Amino acid sequence: MTTLRNERALLWLLLLPVVGFLAVFFLVPLSQVLYFSVMDPGFTLKHYTAFITDGFYWKVLFGTFQTAAFVTVLALLMAYPLAYMVVRLGGAFATTILLIVTMSFWTSFLVRTFAWMVILGNNGPLRAAMEMLGIVPAPQLLFTRFSSTLAMVHLLIPFMVLALYSVMKKIDPNLTRAARSLGASPFDAFRRIFLPLSAPGIVNGCTLVFIMCLGFYVTPVLLGSPREQMIAGLIGQQIEEFLEFGEASATSVILLAVTLTVFALYNRFVGLDKLWG
Amino acid sequence: MRITLALALLVALFVLGPLLVVVPMSFSTANSFEFPPPGYWLGYYRSFFGDERWLTPVFNSIGIGLATMLLTMLLVIPASFAMVRQRFMGRSAINLLLMMPMIVPNIVMALGYYTYFSQLKIIHSPLGVVLAHTCLSVPVCYLIIAASLKGFDRNLERAAMNLGASPLRTFWEVTFPVLRPGFLVGGLFAFIHSFDEAVVAIFISGQAASTLPRKMFDSIRIEADPIISVVSTLLFAVVLLAVLSPLAWRAIVKARSQFRAA
Repeated sequence: MTTLRNERALLWLLLLPVVGFLAVFFLVPLSQVLYFSVMDPGFTLKHYTAFITDGFYWKVLFGTFQTAAFVTVLALLMAYPLAYMVVRLGGAFATTILLIVTMSFWTSFLVRTFAWMVILGNNGPLRAAMEMLGIVPAPQLLFTRFSSTLAMVHLLIPFMVLALYSVMKKIDPNLTRAARSLGASPFDAFRRIFLPLSAPGIVNGCTLVFIMCLGFYVTPVLLGSPREQMIAGLIGQQIEEFLEFGEASATSVILLAVTLTVFALYNRFVGLDKLWG
Repeated sequence: MRITLALALLVALFVLGPLLVVVPMSFSTANSFEFPPPGYWLGYYRSFFGDERWLTPVFNSIGIGLATMLLTMLLVIPASFAMVRQRFMGRSAINLLLMMPMIVPNIVMALGYYTYFSQLKIIHSPLGVVLAHTCLSVPVCYLIIAASLKGFDRNLERAAMNLGASPLRTFWEVTFPVLRPGFLVGGLFAFIHSFDEAVVAIFISGQAASTLPRKMFDSIRIEADPIISVVSTLLFAVVLLAVLSPLAWRAIVKARSQFRAA
């Protein structure tokens, strides 16, 4: 009996530090965001009604969704053939590609954002190339929706490749071979055997990239158009420039709600424990 | 097949190309972002290594990263033992709590910390950044350490106890040494997570405790300071070294064993 009680005590002794720490330094600040979104100073819903009635906020929210969806689809379309060839060819090709992807994965977002700043800049190589091809004057590339979208695809592609690869490498190559020997065309064998088997990787990669994109702050702020903000950039502006903590809190709660909805959907259909491998 | 390969190679180029752009930029003589560079020199490297405004954030980031690493490991390692080895009421709730910092968008936490740490008077201090980064590093550190714990063969412990070792001695002489590499990897990830974290640091580290990502963000947004290309190149070089060294090490070991055999 005492050993059982001791075991219980030990269990909570092991858990107490991290639970206490997260309660004080994570849950309290998070609840403050919820609190400030409805208290100013008394209870009010004005920050939410402002958000709902003002067309500007809807535009930001819709634009964020649109960008996130677009980045996710582009990243998938680009990452899929890459991951597929890595699994198909293997050997030195696979090692090299995975090396490049890992390198990009570990390189700071800020370093990569800076690189795009140079490439798309007014004195950058892309505009120079366009002018050489006779597109004079070359269009402004930086600080547009195009530039932030392109950079986000580049930043998030490694997540997509690794998510796809981890599922694809477990697919038995004999299955496609069997389909081929039974008379399926190479494309049919891919479409009806390989593609459905790689679906978990597609779902994982897309969920990760979409969620990271929804709350993306650094790159849209540095490279994107100031007139077409994403929601995280808007929150930043409400904090830094307008010192409107009530509005910033309401916007944050909306971003949080959207993010949690995506997670909940994923959890409902796949199970959250699968998302991180 | 051939078309897919061509497509794959194009994507690989798209992934790699931008990483390589920063290297020649750091040797450029231009004082704005111009590519290809008009000429080459090492001037901006000299400026970087003599510039307090850049070196202080570097040291801040390293210090904050190390403190975050230690604190995260102290919190996560004991909890992982409880979570992996025991079944108890509330376990899934605690699991959710441990993963939550990864689910909540960083900008939301940036706002939370901004107001909370202002009240606690630890905003713009290294302490505030360490506390925030520790919360944010818990999930990744927990995932890694819990995974290494799950892979641990408990028969090793049973054997030690069977041979008369006390539970404490078993832990120190069997369990801990076997798991140490996993713990260190978990800690390393916590360090990297803190070192690379930008959003929360941008809002709460201020001038005094400015981390490197915050300094880089400001320098891109406000100053267009060419020294950023030096910093970017150095950070890229560290990644390159870390990614390539295991490969090089394997090649050396292989070459040596072939040499022995010959």
